[in-house]
Amino acid sequence: MAEKKQTVILQTSDDEQFTVEKVVAERSAMIKSMMEDLGDQEGQAIPLPNVSSSVLTKILEYCDHHKTEPLPAPDANDADDSRRKTSEIGEWDSRWIQVDQEMLFEIILAANYLDIKPLLDVGCKTVANMIKGKTPEEIRKLFNITNDFTPEEEEQIRKENEWAEE
Amino acid sequence: MDKWAPIAPSKPGGPSNQHNLSSRFASVLKPSKPSARGSISSGPLVGRWPENVVLRIIDFLPVPDLPHVARSNRALARLVKDERGWEVRCKWLGLVADTSIASPKKETPTNPLQTPKKPSFSVPPSHKSRQLSTNDDDFGDFSSQANGGVGNNDVFEDVDFGDFEGAKPNGGSLNSKKENNLLDFDDLPLPSNANTAKGQQKTGFFALSPNPTPTKPKFSSQPFGYPSSAANDPPGVWYKTYQKYHLSMIPYCEILRSSPSPSSTLSLLFPSNRPLSLPDQSNLLLSLILFLSPRLQPLRDWGFLRQALLAASDRFDSTCLVAFEVSDGKKDENGMKVAAESSWKVWEAGGGSRDQWECGRVWVEKREVFYDTARWDSAENIIKVQSPTGATTRQLDFTPMDAFISHVLEAFRIDAEFAKRVFPENARVILSFCDRVASDVIGEYIHPLLSQARAVSQDLFLQATAATFVQAWKLVDLVMEVVGDEQSTIPRTKVEDTVFRMFEQHLDEYLDDETERVKHHLEDICKAWDQQLGAKDPGSRVPAGGPTFLTSDNPDQVKRNVLAGFKDALLLPVTIVPRTVTFATNAIVTGSTQAVSGLAMLNPQKWTGSNGKIVKKEAAEGGDVVFELPDSAEIVEKGEGDEVDELDEKSGYNLEVPDEKPEKEVSRATTPNGTSKEKEDSFDKLQLLVSLDTALELIQADRDSLKRAETFARYPGRAGLHVREAIEEIFILMLKAAGDRHIAPGFRIATNQMSTYKPSEHESTTSVAPLLQFFELVHIGDTIQSMIQVYFDKELSPYVDKTDFLNAVMREKKRFESVLDDAVAAGLNAGIEVLMNQVEHIIITKTGPREYYPVEGTPMDLGPTKGCREAIKCLEMHCNLLRGSTSKEVLEVFYQEVGIRLQAILQRHLKRQIISLEGGFQIIADLNTYHAFVASLKQQRITEDFANLKMLGHVYIVSDAKDLAQIVRDVTRYGGTFTPEDIYEFIQRRSDWKKIEKTVDKAMYALSVREDCVIM
Repeated sequence: MAEKKQTVILQTSDDEQFTVEKVVAERSAMIKSMMEDLGDQEGQAIPLPNVSSSVLTKILEYCDHHKTEPLPAPDANDADDSRRKTSEIGEWDSRWIQVDQEMLFEIILAANYLDIKPLLDVGCKTVANMIKGKTPEEIRKLFNITNDFTPEEEEQIRKENEWAEE
Repeated sequence: MDKWAPIAPSKPGGPSNQHNLSSRFASVLKPSKPSARGSISSGPLVGRWPENVVLRIIDFLPVPDLPHVARSNRALARLVKDERGWEVRCKWLGLVADTSIASPKKETPTNPLQTPKKPSFSVPPSHKSRQLSTNDDDFGDFSSQANGGVGNNDVFEDVDFGDFEGAKPNGGSLNSKKENNLLDFDDLPLPSNANTAKGQQKTGFFALSPNPTPTKPKFSSQPFGYPSSAANDPPGVWYKTYQKYHLSMIPYCEILRSSPSPSSTLSLLFPSNRPLSLPDQSNLLLSLILFLSPRLQPLRDWGFLRQALLAASDRFDSTCLVAFEVSDGKKDENGMKVAAESSWKVWEAGGGSRDQWECGRVWVEKREVFYDTARWDSAENIIKVQSPTGATTRQLDFTPMDAFISHVLEAFRIDAEFAKRVFPENARVILSFCDRVASDVIGEYIHPLLSQARAVSQDLFLQATAATFVQAWKLVDLVMEVVGDEQSTIPRTKVEDTVFRMFEQHLDEYLDDETERVKHHLEDICKAWDQQLGAKDPGSRVPAGGPTFLTSDNPDQVKRNVLAGFKDALLLPVTIVPRTVTFATNAIVTGSTQAVSGLAMLNPQKWTGSNGKIVKKEAAEGGDVVFELPDSAEIVEKGEGDEVDELDEKSGYNLEVPDEKPEKEVSRATTPNGTSKEKEDSFDKLQLLVSLDTALELIQADRDSLKRAETFARYPGRAGLHVREAIEEIFILMLKAAGDRHIAPGFRIATNQMSTYKPSEHESTTSVAPLLQFFELVHIGDTIQSMIQVYFDKELSPYVDKTDFLNAVMREKKRFESVLDDAVAAGLNAGIEVLMNQVEHIIITKTGPREYYPVEGTPMDLGPTKGCREAIKCLEMHCNLLRGSTSKEVLEVFYQEVGIRLQAILQRHLKRQIISLEGGFQIIADLNTYHAFVASLKQQRITEDFANLKMLGHVYIVSDAKDLAQIVRDVTRYGGTFTPEDIYEFIQRRSDWKKIEKTVDKAMYALSVREDCVIM
């Protein structure tokens, strides 16, 4: 079984090229379908204009660690989320995701773009954990957004959702 | 990427709002790059976050955190309210979109999911009011706000809110019976709900409302009524559905929170003044378990509440159990079923808080089948049998176990069918019941039986093991029969596992014993054969009916017949479970002897006059005495003559005999008739050096073991691996026994015997007896190999990958074949030696002294000489015998070897003769005959050699010496086989050599010297 491991070349936004094992790259549904579309074009780099090399390095680390797991069904409905039943993050994943906020944001964006659902979930869960128990002002800071409500509006929203606060 | 498309928000409000933001926060926004599949990154953003990502984040948030998120920003508020997130939550809870949201009592008669809501909403009024009073704020504030600060905690607020929701233009179809007027309302967005005090104000809130009264202008900075004001969008159906449900759950959570103990929790949840049926109670608990889940995290203290809830569920389970028992006592199957289902649902949702579901376990434990095992004694299966000799032997008779198993199975069937009716399918009560029966009832029966059988004998243990397993296996079939179509919840493998687990403890022991026994058994068979072979008195040997394969017209046909019969014999069932049938002795013995005799009849040697032979065989076992009596003289002579070689190998018994041999030969020569007869007989024994019978016995014995081991072949995992290894081992042992132990020594003896054959000692010229017998041996060997191949194909191929050349079985099979091939090759080697010695012997003895130097004037008939004819007859016979017994390659090698050696013999022969010119013609006649024979062998190379040899004859008929020299020198005439020097040697045998020698020498050498000079 001296069969050579199949690889693909990924090209990041900063023009860096990564040669990646196919099973690793296939974690990304986007790359996977791209490879299927391209067929067997050896040496052809797949451009990833939305992903920088530092983020890709990090993400490939994740893909490599999870490369033996079954891929989620490509048509898995988001609403049917048995795989997301647990809001827990795996041990390895939670250590891996311990990055600064900017990196976390980049990872989530890239996971979204590359269509790596499990990774996107890990990122989103991490953000959700960060939001837990925060005040609106803190949340604004987190998302880097401003309060665009009028006081009345804000009050209305508060009333509207008050039921959920117990 | 398409699959992401539905997520991308398509709300009309989105983009405009988005623009608003992006223009304001352009500095922090990451420009969305156009990508190949960029529908994602080009989607709407919140801050710099893609909206679908934010949605996902919100989805993971605990419900109590959502208000804060909603209050932070308009876009976030819109996303919090986004229907997709709420739909997911509702689906998790098993809710359907509740279009009748305003109705105080939810009614969703058709719910595909296991909807827990029905009972939870048929809660007593006290709870209902309580719920409303605790939560009216949520609604009331909204209205009060709308009303310009009319703070009222009116209970009707709830209803109003619902109307408001139902009336919104995109509120979906409002088909509830109560909302008929709202349906109208929807069609014509007019405030028809004016019967309530605040109807006007509320409807005025709607964008499409024709009512222009702007009651709440300060509500939004957006132009009044524009739906693009996302934050102010009325909540969607899913949102409302969830909210409704959430609020309905709150009072129960309150109970959980405040209740001091699980039992009081239950009594609070299900107050005795409004008793709920068990299924309703279980449904409510189920709803709560779902609600208070880590997926939703609906409340801050959901974890604590869940613990309390699970404790209450445990208590509830006991309640169910009591109800179940009561119903059981009343034989109320329906009541049992209801109780079981209620208990199961809650237990299942609670998830793994206990090892086994109490209700099912208790029921299983109470089955009668576990308590009446005492009256079955497994030891009864071992019976004592009087053997013909009067000794008592123990054998197996499984009639008691038959009765036991059928009793157990019957009891099991009744209970299992009941369980199937009463218990929920998913609880797999049948499976745990089956497990218990297998280990506690059948296992308890089998274990002592096996240990007892083992104490009696290994044989008994092996039989008992396979037999009990087959019996126990019946349980699996029964379970599957009862389970019927529900195999998805109780797959066959699980059921099989129960029996496998029960039996596993015996398996290793069994496999070890089985292989060991096969080894001994095969060894015994071989030994028995050796003994028979080595019996001191050759007369006691089984006289075979002659070389069966060789004498038949078509050896191939005979072989095919044997194999066809063999295949049929392999299909004979091996009795695994012994029973007393009408046979006098144990059935296993009967079964296997049947098979053996069936196999034994395959031996073609028995087809020819078998009756007498079998009688003799039996007599032979009786001992020497019988045969020594009648004609000792002849027997002794035979024994010391032809048997010597063979017996040398066996023992020192005949060591002194060879010295006497010459004398015996002399004496034999005097009575040629007698000796030739004896010789014929004695060589039959060579054929029997390898016996089809023994091979058949080996295969049969092996097959018995294999079949027993095969019973366990379906074992999974590690044990299964061991079983398959044992099966392979059993086959390998058989190959070894047949190959190394039986065939190889037999062939070796035959080969030795041939190599000591002295042609001069025998009368017959046309046939070499040992060789003849050896050829028969080759046929037998070939048949045995074919039988083993058939055996392999039929019995073993399911367990062995034929293409896997590393597999032990395949390797061993190859080895066996090569052992046989080597034996055949070695034998043929010796055989050629014998044959050619015989041929040379014939040529030497039969060629008259003046055969090629006839007295002048003798009339010549120009036919081949007698020696030539006989030699060729002998060769032809033996060469034909081999046809069809071995491979073409072996034959070719054999023929070539014959040709080459014949050539050498003839050359030697010629050089011994003195040949006159007339005799030269005789030579040519002989050489032509030899050539014709060799040509019939169709071996290109040696045919050419003989053609050249034929040319050599010409040197004897050329009278003129100079012409002769010419011929001698002409190398091309002899195709390179002979050099002039070779031919020079041959012409020296001419009777007139002295006369022509000088002339020839001169012609040859003078000429050649001159030629050399010219060339130089």
